[in-house]
Amino acid sequence: MDMLDWARGPVLYAALTVFVLGVAWRFFALSRLPTTPAIAPARKEFSRADALRVALTRMWPRKGLRGSATLVTFNPYVFHIGLALVFLGYAPHIAFIRRLTGLGWPALPDMVMYLSAAATIVSLLIALMFRLTDPVLKKISSADDMVTCLVTMLPLITGMAVVGEPSSSILAHKVVLYRDPLAIHLFSLELLLVWFPFGKLMHAFLFLPGRMQLATFLGRRGVQP
Amino acid sequence: MIDMAVFKQFQGAIAHLGEMAKPELIADDERVARAKAVMRLKTDRALALDLESCVNCGYCSEACHFYQGTQDPKYTPTRKLDLLRRVHARESSAFAPIKRLFTRDISLQDLQDWQELVYDSCTECGRCSMVCPMGINIARGVNVMREALSEAGLVPLELMAVAQEQAGRGTVFGVGPAELAHVVEALRGQGIRVPLDEPRADVMLVTTVIDVLLFQDALAATARILNHLNINWTLRSAGFEAANFGLLSGNEALQKAASKRLIDEALAIGAKAVILPECGHAYPALRWEGRLPDGKPLPFEVLAASEFVGREIREGRLALVAGDPNRKLTYHDACKLARHGGVIDEPRAALRALGVDFRETSPTAELNWCCGGGAGAFLINRAAPLRQKAWQIKREQIEATGADTVVLSCASCRLNFMEGAEVAQSSMHIESLIELVAAQLPRPPSQ
Repeated sequence: MDMLDWARGPVLYAALTVFVLGVAWRFFALSRLPTTPAIAPARKEFSRADALRVALTRMWPRKGLRGSATLVTFNPYVFHIGLALVFLGYAPHIAFIRRLTGLGWPALPDMVMYLSAAATIVSLLIALMFRLTDPVLKKISSADDMVTCLVTMLPLITGMAVVGEPSSSILAHKVVLYRDPLAIHLFSLELLLVWFPFGKLMHAFLFLPGRMQLATFLGRRGVQP
Repeated sequence: MIDMAVFKQFQGAIAHLGEMAKPELIADDERVARAKAVMRLKTDRALALDLESCVNCGYCSEACHFYQGTQDPKYTPTRKLDLLRRVHARESSAFAPIKRLFTRDISLQDLQDWQELVYDSCTECGRCSMVCPMGINIARGVNVMREALSEAGLVPLELMAVAQEQAGRGTVFGVGPAELAHVVEALRGQGIRVPLDEPRADVMLVTTVIDVLLFQDALAATARILNHLNINWTLRSAGFEAANFGLLSGNEALQKAASKRLIDEALAIGAKAVILPECGHAYPALRWEGRLPDGKPLPFEVLAASEFVGREIREGRLALVAGDPNRKLTYHDACKLARHGGVIDEPRAALRALGVDFRETSPTAELNWCCGGGAGAFLINRAAPLRQKAWQIKREQIEATGADTVVLSCASCRLNFMEGAEVAQSSMHIESLIELVAAQLPRPPSQ
């Protein structure tokens, strides 16, 4: 077995196991904590569907609040949208997911992917710059922020490094031409998966219940959440 | 008419308030142990989710008047939960045994440092939550921090003094049943009917120390409105104080005891509703957190004064004579009433019924800027410079409306506005909503 065999085999499954069990354990640990039900009668009925709607519409900055600097507000959108496009829209990634799960979907054009990857990397670097220079972010940042930034950046950088030809050509090859670079790319992804449950990457799952919780708190009091 | 001499006396009393406190002698280790015990106990699923989901984006600082007023990053709202976060990470989070290896335990010095962060520089206004992309209820976490510091004996001395007085003697700033009776007599002397200690009534009116001492016109106004509406109401000597220094200081036992006094009296007279005075924090204390001893919901309505008059106007039971349409008014939403209470539309219904030129601030309602004096911060002497910086944002917001008068429905906000205007030598007119409504009742008071 060479590096790629390890990366595609045992290490990948070990990383996925840590990821799935780790995320599940995070939720289990939360679920075993006691709850404090709201006793007072609500001012306004506010259902779980209402909470879900509010949680999803909170994706956009709220009108009426003092706007952040444009780049600070704009940058996270570039990063998250770019990352989603690269991960879910690039043909070799879709082929990888299909091999694992059997699920597939049409890919986006390579040029869109290259631009998305570049924008994602730049936005992550900008986020890092803010974190290292902005007084507020410097004050509140933790090791988790830095580790998360690193493990998110690595798959993007190593992924760009293995893109030497169009995705149609890559997928047409019977054998992988650049085995070691691809193995390194996969190892970087596996590092991200292993880190995921332990740090702030969990916000990818926690944002929804968190937003719904606040929406319910405010909504039943008759406040526009 | 506010007696400014009394206001000065009140300010003077606050200046020496800390000297009245009797701090408990507690060993350093014991303080930390007590604080951690509260943090563990209060970290329920909702709080844990809040603590775990922060991505350290710092957006909350954009919404915080204390950060905006000072530009000091130590006041970033989410940072105020760091001690809770550390205790949770080490003791109750999913990977606590691993996190413990990398997360420093909290110390007495941490607790002492956090006193300023959760009392002086946070009014639990909740504005930070409105901008938080993760939906974290930071104000709730800050309140838990206050409870932890209270248990550790690390409450600011001014709040400790008043909380000890309320817990011990049942009075606040020396105001008890005798002082209430004195004010009731004074109002009756003005020809206003003020029922006191009636055995049965549909509505129990609650007042507050500030109204008894300083804003007696607000109490008079509420009485006149209730009389005008022919409501069967009463004040009760054994349960008239809306101010809850248990909530403000973080003393949960006192918070429950102070609420229980009101609840017991309301139950004793068979009240269908309790009307709270213009007091911001009294609303969440009773309306949202009040409950019967068995944990069941209160069997009566709890209404803020502004909510009550607004509702009466909206439902057509209360009409006002038209006011001066050239009079330019704006309104300050008290955070505890609006953002964390939902009392938003009713005060506006009352303001519009006044027939004046009503102008909204920008932003307004649930996004309104806090004045900086709530949650007991007004009483903390060392916090005055910080409070002033935060209040500047409020002042600019009010001035930008072009209104000549700002209307309030919270006595704490009103005190803070008066102090802020005094320090800034501002000519801003500050009025009570309930007093404006009573001044425009359709017929001269005959009670």
